[in-house]
Amino acid sequence: MIHIRGLRKTFPPNTVALDGVDLDIAPGEFVMVIGQSGAGKSTLLRCMNRLIEPTEGEIGLNGSRVTGASPEALRAVRRQMGMIFQQFNLVRRASVMENVLAGRLGYVPGVPSLFGRFPHRDREMAMAALRLVGLEDFAERRADRLSGGEQQRVAIARALAQEPKVILADEPTASLDPMLTESIMGILQRINRERRLTLIVSQHMLETALAYGTRIVGLRQGRIAFDGPPGAITPDIVQAIYEGGRL
Amino acid sequence: MTRRVRGLGLGVALLLLYGWFFAATEVSLTRFVRGIPWMADFLRRMFPPDLSVLASAAVGALQTLQIAVVGTTVAALLALPLGFLSARNVVSGPVFYPARALLNFFRSIDTMVYALFFVAAVGLGPFPGVLAVVTYTTMTLAKLYSEAIEGIEPGPVEAIAATGANRLQVLRFGILPQVVPLFASYVLYRLETNIRAATILGFVGAGGIGFYIQTYLRMINYPAAAAVLLVLVVLIMGVDFTSSRLRARIV
Repeated sequence: MIHIRGLRKTFPPNTVALDGVDLDIAPGEFVMVIGQSGAGKSTLLRCMNRLIEPTEGEIGLNGSRVTGASPEALRAVRRQMGMIFQQFNLVRRASVMENVLAGRLGYVPGVPSLFGRFPHRDREMAMAALRLVGLEDFAERRADRLSGGEQQRVAIARALAQEPKVILADEPTASLDPMLTESIMGILQRINRERRLTLIVSQHMLETALAYGTRIVGLRQGRIAFDGPPGAITPDIVQAIYEGGRL
Repeated sequence: MTRRVRGLGLGVALLLLYGWFFAATEVSLTRFVRGIPWMADFLRRMFPPDLSVLASAAVGALQTLQIAVVGTTVAALLALPLGFLSARNVVSGPVFYPARALLNFFRSIDTMVYALFFVAAVGLGPFPGVLAVVTYTTMTLAKLYSEAIEGIEPGPVEAIAATGANRLQVLRFGILPQVVPLFASYVLYRLETNIRAATILGFVGAGGIGFYIQTYLRMINYPAAAAVLLVLVVLIMGVDFTSSRLRARIV
């Protein structure tokens, strides 16, 4: 499903964020990407939909090339990948519904969408996504009137409205307290199990990663230091990933 | 110790500078006090206001309002492309620096000066007034717009791009919702300022209520001038009140 070969990212002048990553992800996997801050978790996720342009290497999604794709082809790739962010990244002044409808932008006719006109079917899909995260009654509220946990659920609904094949979640719970972390991770787990959606989640909390992931990818200094099921993680591996730093 | 000496030196320098400026502008308390009876006389001669000129003053006031509204609206639109072209996070240096320089240059010339220029160019009446308001306000609003654009959160913009939206959709759904309420608020604020500016445009023949104030003052018809001023106060208070309530609702 996702196919990554020799992925490198260097930020000017010479910060190496990713240093040759090879990774294959199969449909339906719940991949937890762990590692210290600065290990390259975020960069890896953002390279997958080219929010960050890779310096070197190849990325493919279901046989279509992500790296080197034309702007139009890239948009077609992006709409198959929903993305969730640490800071939710909702448009604060817009309503919840407008935020979720944004997930349909890659599908709907371009010009009418600029005037805020969406086909009935797309509105229904947005509403269905809101229902799935339990926020259908909040549709007309302004996004910034919601709590942090609710905003992240709206962001999940926006990603789901894309009818994606993959969801990339970049530290989705780092801005939330432990209770909300459980709730958000629970929603993601349900999506993964019920919809067979592939999830790739970066997670700085080891316990959370082990509790939810079906596969753990440990990054260290831009390279994969571990790749396997949560059950295979040992204290030594943790030590290796975190370099004896934390935990 | 040296810091203290420097502070003292700076204080003395400032004092001398102010002394010079006050002297150069012939500031004189005695002259002011001696003028008080004349002010009182002036005010006394304004009363009672001559209410028979209210109708023509209202016509002038309406024209001032029209100049300000038309001028501000056209400027609000013209400033849009200029605002984006002078935002650091939208365009690169070769576009940004010339655009900013252009804005700063034309913004340093006041509406009144533009009015003189346009009266000479297109003749008397409200039209040169509109042109003057448009010119100055476009530059001011473009600067304010560009600062609003520079202040947007990049996160939501990134999120919209990640959905597979095209560039125009990113602009419409990621950027505009963040800046439009600010833009609207700036436009209303400029409208309030432009009502005041348009008031004196009539002094140079560029239309509006200023013409009546100036004419009655020249004719030494103070009661009539007083009535016109009353209309002006009502106009400005009305616009300020409406505009500030609208602004409170937007942001």
